[in-house]
Amino acid sequence: MQENAVFDSPRKFDFRYITDNARFLGWLFLLPAVLYIVLLIGVPFVLAIAFSLADVTVGDTTLDFVGLQNYSRIMQTPEFWQSLKDSFGFAITAQIITLVLANILAVILSSDFRGKWFALVLIMLPWSTPIALGAVGWLWLLDSKFSPIDWVLRYVGLLGDPNSLLGAPKNLYYLGKAQLAQASIIMVYVWRMLPLSAVILLAGLTSIPQDLLDQAEVDGSSFWRTLFQIKLPLILPIMIIALLFSFIYTVGDMAVVYVLTRGGPVYYTHVLPTWAFIKGIESGALAEGAAIALFIFPVLLAAAIVILRYSRRTEVV
Amino acid sequence: MAVIETKDLSKHFGEVVAVDGIDLSIREGELMVILGPSGCGKTTLMRMIAGLEKPTGGDVMIGGEIVTDLPPRVRPIAMVFQSYALYPHMTVFNNIAFPLKAHGGFSKEEMKEKVEWAASILDIQHLLSRKPRELSGGERQRVALSRALAKEPGVLLLDEPLSNLDAKLRASARDELQRFQRRLGITTIFVTHDQIEALGMGDRIVVMSQGKIVQVGTPKEVYHDSANTFVATFLGSPGMNILEMDDFLVGFRPEQFILKIGAEIEDQIKTFSFRVNRVEYLGADQLLYGVIEGYSKDYYVVAKFSSESPNDISANNTYEFVVRRDQLRFFDKDNGLRIEPRSF
Repeated sequence: MQENAVFDSPRKFDFRYITDNARFLGWLFLLPAVLYIVLLIGVPFVLAIAFSLADVTVGDTTLDFVGLQNYSRIMQTPEFWQSLKDSFGFAITAQIITLVLANILAVILSSDFRGKWFALVLIMLPWSTPIALGAVGWLWLLDSKFSPIDWVLRYVGLLGDPNSLLGAPKNLYYLGKAQLAQASIIMVYVWRMLPLSAVILLAGLTSIPQDLLDQAEVDGSSFWRTLFQIKLPLILPIMIIALLFSFIYTVGDMAVVYVLTRGGPVYYTHVLPTWAFIKGIESGALAEGAAIALFIFPVLLAAAIVILRYSRRTEVV
Repeated sequence: MAVIETKDLSKHFGEVVAVDGIDLSIREGELMVILGPSGCGKTTLMRMIAGLEKPTGGDVMIGGEIVTDLPPRVRPIAMVFQSYALYPHMTVFNNIAFPLKAHGGFSKEEMKEKVEWAASILDIQHLLSRKPRELSGGERQRVALSRALAKEPGVLLLDEPLSNLDAKLRASARDELQRFQRRLGITTIFVTHDQIEALGMGDRIVVMSQGKIVQVGTPKEVYHDSANTFVATFLGSPGMNILEMDDFLVGFRPEQFILKIGAEIEDQIKTFSFRVNRVEYLGADQLLYGVIEGYSKDYYVVAKFSSESPNDISANNTYEFVVRRDQLRFFDKDNGLRIEPRSF
């Protein structure tokens, strides 16, 4: 029984094999992500909830609990309701337009033609530009006096003459009129989100097996029937994911509105993030800013849950 | 009457010649098998007949009409792909109804009737409300065939429809497919690389190699009177043994290479001294791998030997083996084509 001694003795931890230990490696590799989430997302989130229930301002950062006072106060302002309406109005309208255009673009790009690669690069450009930089570019294109769009319209005779289609004024003042400003912002969001959606849908379309499309052709299906009864139903799960990603991005974004209009004219283009920023940071009412910002949270949470459920179910075939 | 004809049909993919001047004619109600190794152009040929691939040259005729430039949807064909290509998001009913909907002009009742008729031929009425992912391989194949039949095509194109089934199912599917084809009398083209499927099912077989037709004939013709050494060695498991003589090639099939029992009439047989190197036991048969001795060089050959034989054959012994002279096949040494018998 001498041989069993080695089994009975207590086992020592051997550092030479530490990199073979799955538990150790698991924690090691997870740690950066855990730290990132806890420090940069978890802490600010908890802080925001605490702020929204207290009376903090930039001048007085002691936390005195005031219940839901901040919420009821912001809900009495017309700016808040306009922001809420715009947040969803912009995001939903932009999603619908993006989805239609992205589908058209993806169907075009899924066919073979000369210069396809170049077209793809061009289409991806808006997505690869930093959002603030893109917005600055649009600020110039939509400028009240020097807008190149107005210049072109005047040149072709659609603007600047009493008899022209768009009227006598020399400029359209895109960002100066409520509805034009809202439409402009939606257009910039579409410009921004279209590349990503188109590429996601393109990936979906290319993952449909060629056999299935050949079969549809042999079965006598026309282009439109194949598109609406075969291709689109098959990429529906992917389409929903593209839609939700782009929705979350748009709802949470403040750069476009902040750069283009700062919420103006008056407060007609404010979205929740810009209104929260102006209220909480620029005016120093941290507590109210936090309360405004938290209004988007349940919406984003719901969207995230739907995405996670769908991404697990995504199977093209 | 020829239902399908191709005239000098070719397909080039850049520099690669996939199909090289095919002249083929397929008769009404015939089950024609296109057989060849992978890459021989058989699938491309079928896709051109279906209209999925545009020929580089030549013409396709279906029912006496040139259809070369017509899209698949106006050709009187139906096709079953190797993967079955069932629409995964549709029920079996909608899968079978799809070609009818695409064709248009059927009322709801007519459509239902046709789908049920197509389903009843393959005995899958009970599956109509299922989705493809809930079906087994064999069931999927039946659905694919039903869908092909629904629009009552003039020609049925089958692209390796059995290769996705497991080996056991394949034998029964082969039998079923052939009976079904006979019953409906529908002109069928069947593409396969499996010579057993080809020999077992085809009314006629087209053997292809490198984009060209090598031989067209009944299973017996291509097996017993192979046009060249390619057909002779491609068909049969294992293929024909080929011995290279001074100015010609001589071949015989492994099952015709048998142990001499002494009762043969000497001038009707050719006797070889066969040294067995290895015995491969395969249940009913054994394959004997070995060398024919007594020539200027060693010929490596295979014999198929029944396991039920009272004679015992073991490795590393030499036996007298014979082939009947009328079973010897002679081929040209340069181009491999069949030639008149020689004496040697």
